[in-house]
Amino acid sequence: MMENAWLIPLFPLLSFLILLLFGKRLKEASAYVGILLTLASLIYSILVLFERFSEPTYSTKFDWLTIGDLHLTAGFEVNQLNALMLFIVSLVSFLVHTYSKGYMHGDERFPVFYAYLGLFTFAMLGLVISPNLLQTYIFWELVGVGSFLLIGFYYYKEEAKAAAKKAFIMTRIGDVGLFIGMILLFWQTKSFEYSEIFSAVEAGAVSQTMITLTAILIFIGAVGKSGQFPLHTWLPDAMEGPTPVSALIHAATMVAAGVYLVAALFPLFLASKTALLTIAIIGAVTAIFAASIGIVQTDIKRVLAYSTVSQLGYMMLALGTAGYVAGVFHLMTHAFFKALLFLAAGSVIHAVHTQNIEEMGGLWKKLKLTGPLFLIGTLAISGVPGLSGFFSKDEILIAAWEGGHPVLFLLALIAAFMTAFYMFRLFFMVFTGEARGNQKHVHESPNNMTYPMILLGILAVIAGYVNTPWFGSFLGDWLVDGNPALGHGHIEGPIWIMIAATVVSLAGIYLAYLMYYKRTIARNWLSGTGDTLHTILLNKYYVDEFYQMTVVAATKAISYLLRFIDVFVVEGLVKGVVGIVQGLGKTGSKMQTGQVQTYGAVAFIGLALLAVIFALTGGYLR
Amino acid sequence: MNLQWVLSILVFSPLLGIIVLAFMPKMEEKAIKLVGFLATLPPLFLALAAYLHFQWGKDLADFAVSKDWIQFRGMNVQEPIYSVYYELGLSGFQLLLVVLTAIVATLSAIAAARFVKKEWKGYFMLFLLLEIGMLGVFTAENLILFFIFFEVTLIPTFFLIGKWGYFEKEKAAYSFLIYNGLGSAVLLIVIMILFAKTGTTNIDLLTQIMADPSAPLSSDLKLGLLIALLIAFGVKLPIFPLHSWMLKVHVQAPPSVVMIHSGILLKIGAYGLIRFGMGIFPEQFETLSVLIAVLGVINLLYGAFLAFIQADFKMVLAYSSISHMGIVLIGLAAMNEAGVQGAIFQVVSHGLISALLFFLVGVLYERTDTSLIENLGGMAKGMPIAAGFLLAGGMASLGLPGMSGFVSEFMAFLGLFKELPWIAAVGTIGIIMTAAYLLRAVLGITYGKAHREFTGVLDLKGVEFVPVVVLMALIVLIGVYPSVLSSPLQTTLETIMLGLGG
Repeated sequence: MMENAWLIPLFPLLSFLILLLFGKRLKEASAYVGILLTLASLIYSILVLFERFSEPTYSTKFDWLTIGDLHLTAGFEVNQLNALMLFIVSLVSFLVHTYSKGYMHGDERFPVFYAYLGLFTFAMLGLVISPNLLQTYIFWELVGVGSFLLIGFYYYKEEAKAAAKKAFIMTRIGDVGLFIGMILLFWQTKSFEYSEIFSAVEAGAVSQTMITLTAILIFIGAVGKSGQFPLHTWLPDAMEGPTPVSALIHAATMVAAGVYLVAALFPLFLASKTALLTIAIIGAVTAIFAASIGIVQTDIKRVLAYSTVSQLGYMMLALGTAGYVAGVFHLMTHAFFKALLFLAAGSVIHAVHTQNIEEMGGLWKKLKLTGPLFLIGTLAISGVPGLSGFFSKDEILIAAWEGGHPVLFLLALIAAFMTAFYMFRLFFMVFTGEARGNQKHVHESPNNMTYPMILLGILAVIAGYVNTPWFGSFLGDWLVDGNPALGHGHIEGPIWIMIAATVVSLAGIYLAYLMYYKRTIARNWLSGTGDTLHTILLNKYYVDEFYQMTVVAATKAISYLLRFIDVFVVEGLVKGVVGIVQGLGKTGSKMQTGQVQTYGAVAFIGLALLAVIFALTGGYLR
Repeated sequence: MNLQWVLSILVFSPLLGIIVLAFMPKMEEKAIKLVGFLATLPPLFLALAAYLHFQWGKDLADFAVSKDWIQFRGMNVQEPIYSVYYELGLSGFQLLLVVLTAIVATLSAIAAARFVKKEWKGYFMLFLLLEIGMLGVFTAENLILFFIFFEVTLIPTFFLIGKWGYFEKEKAAYSFLIYNGLGSAVLLIVIMILFAKTGTTNIDLLTQIMADPSAPLSSDLKLGLLIALLIAFGVKLPIFPLHSWMLKVHVQAPPSVVMIHSGILLKIGAYGLIRFGMGIFPEQFETLSVLIAVLGVINLLYGAFLAFIQADFKMVLAYSSISHMGIVLIGLAAMNEAGVQGAIFQVVSHGLISALLFFLVGVLYERTDTSLIENLGGMAKGMPIAAGFLLAGGMASLGLPGMSGFVSEFMAFLGLFKELPWIAAVGTIGIIMTAAYLLRAVLGITYGKAHREFTGVLDLKGVEFVPVVVLMALIVLIGVYPSVLSSPLQTTLETIMLGLGG
């Protein structure tokens, strides 16, 4: 099975090509092409995952590009992390494919949507089986394009156009870091292969400064893709894309690619304390930073987007504090409950045709399936005991504490409180209380939308039990099996951490309950008491404005300065050249006056000169 | 089998088309277009056959031809002192450029059949003459022959721009002529000095002579000659600040000519720099490598920043060409296998991508009579397929992996990071800027609200699919399977590296 794992990404690629060529004729039947082919990927991924439980890592490669003596290769590898990622990606992709059949029904560009989904899935699956950095980079960029196309799917909307452009350019800024890091690392280790890079690093062939430099550069790539501070601003804007896309790309898979990259290169990062600390700090800062913004947003998808940014920060924090298992574990559970939340949000939007939570309310009774499912997702992300998010978040907190970062631990704990608060704020505002907007034709979504949600709901509950302090850390042990460098499968932590996490999460929920359900605390007590703070949060700390005033303005300024040079200096040069040519021409034509006297005079002077020279040199020119 | 005749036929076969056209009545529009197109096919088939010949493991030296041509004798000497031979040949590098030329020429003929609105006879005769010049430039084995073909490309281009261009066509044509004329003058001086000092203009022979430490040229003179070459080909490439003529040409020339101009003619500059600059004067090239790297980065960033604020899509692409030629310089300055191979890849890749983009400009202009970004917008509504190809072309141009632009950009930077990491690091800003200006322009045209008058425009149709599909297929092929280019290049690369002493 594993030796043919390269087929897994090819199914969605096939879907992309078929739909690109025949989509117009297939119309909405395109969905079946996409669904069946991703189902094939899913089945194959499951088989590979199960085989990987018992078999060792499989990898193969062939020459892709020859440069003199350098042979750059391409290939694929099925190790634990890759097998797990294959499963997560193909599962979520399959569910989103199914869900979209209902959600996108009636859209003019239905086949195009499925084609793009295929392209994205291909790239993402290709990314997670790459055995070397160059190939990772190639798929990394393709994933970005898939995301770009889908964000800009409603191309006629100015916001969608701007969001797509922003996503592409901001992630590219990060990608350049990855690009430089990858090349520098290549010249240090003479290879792009992960295994060879690791052994070179282990053997001490790379200087400490270089390890830190390349590790941080590569991490910058991850910062861009995973929406970490300060390159996070594209991710909330990316919500302009259709909601299933937000679930697939901007929650479960692509944005987790940064986390995956750090995990895949973990031995490199482990070799540099500075790099690890950088990751941990960025992760913790992002977690609390995004969570605080999430508190005041009123767009259902944007709240979820900021929560994604925040949760990705958690994963980075875990990796930065050497909690490999914790990071990957949270990546997995988050993929399930966040995809669930987005699909449920999509179902809500589908029903009420607005994304503004101020215009919702009282939907619990009308959306009998979506409501409970959304609640499950909310409970899971809030870290309520028994659901998947609880276990993985607990692991992260333990990793931060045991890693010796009490400050970061505290930040993560506060962020956990905020998460519970704003997620339940969202839940109460959408599903409880009075209906605030125009809700005449509210109805539950069709089966092809609810079934994927139900499956994800089940996973959001049970996925945590593969790695618990109570029933054994099966996932963790398996992930680090044969790779002691990655750390232990399970880190023992003091019991109070689990209790603290639970208390914090329940406190957040209780506060939201009081404010948005019971209304015993005024909704505006925050904006009432701390007006400035509220405005700052509402404006997302003015990061966008800051970039607009600095980077964008500087770019424009440089461009106009160069235009000035181009118009005046370079064109001046042109005028100079033209002037010289014309001058020569004019001088030449002036000589042709047609006056025989002038010609005669010139001829005479010339002859006289010759005679003088002749006399002076004594007869011969030598 | 004797294959010596192949190259001569390949180069001069468009002449057949010129002769046929000469006897045709002026107003036979369809027939003229057909003949013009058909005349580009023999070189195409022969070029592809030569490529297959190589890929089947045969030697490219089979094609080399050398005949007595011009001799200068002394007064009382029997043996000629100076001889110029008629010498054509193919190396892997030349082979690729010949194939590229033949492909782009054929596609450009299709574009001309669609977009040229008057005096087809004159157009196609000049066009075919231009093709002879281009094919000759890339197959010539000595400098005199190279120079003659080089001049042959100038004259038809001048008329093609001046007669069939847009509003300021005459100005653009003269600007083209003056700059390129000056470039050729400098080139001619270099060639004459080399000829006088060494007695030969054969490129391989010159390379050997120069590698000999007892060569009759001082290293100062060699450096001077290299700088002269840098200027001569710098005009063509173009290198900042010698670029302003090409902006005018890109904007004013008809799309089918810009396809050739941006796709092939600019590449003569790169070809000359690699084959003559780096090939004949490797040591001096090394002395200048930092300067060339800096020039490369300046080109890359200067073009990118200016492309970012252009109002006219054609200007965006013109500055984008400047920017992309910076990558060629960056790769060359690295002076290692990765860099040089990257530079050569970039030459081919940019040839394909710019031909594609300018063809699409032609399509767009044909329907809307404008190429100003602000006048367009939302074109994806009326012409989804063209818009899709435009986006894909833009992606190729900004170096998306899986397409040819990435492979070349990657290798050029890979090379330079080994030698001059700081300069390379500055250059990477260009990667971001390229994405910024291309998306700004392409999304400005295809995304957003559709202008009312353009909602009903026609999408790509009929023969218009041929250039678009062929170019896109080649771009993806190179991006996915770069060995199609790298395998013919290995010997060329070894030769160059040998010259560099590495």
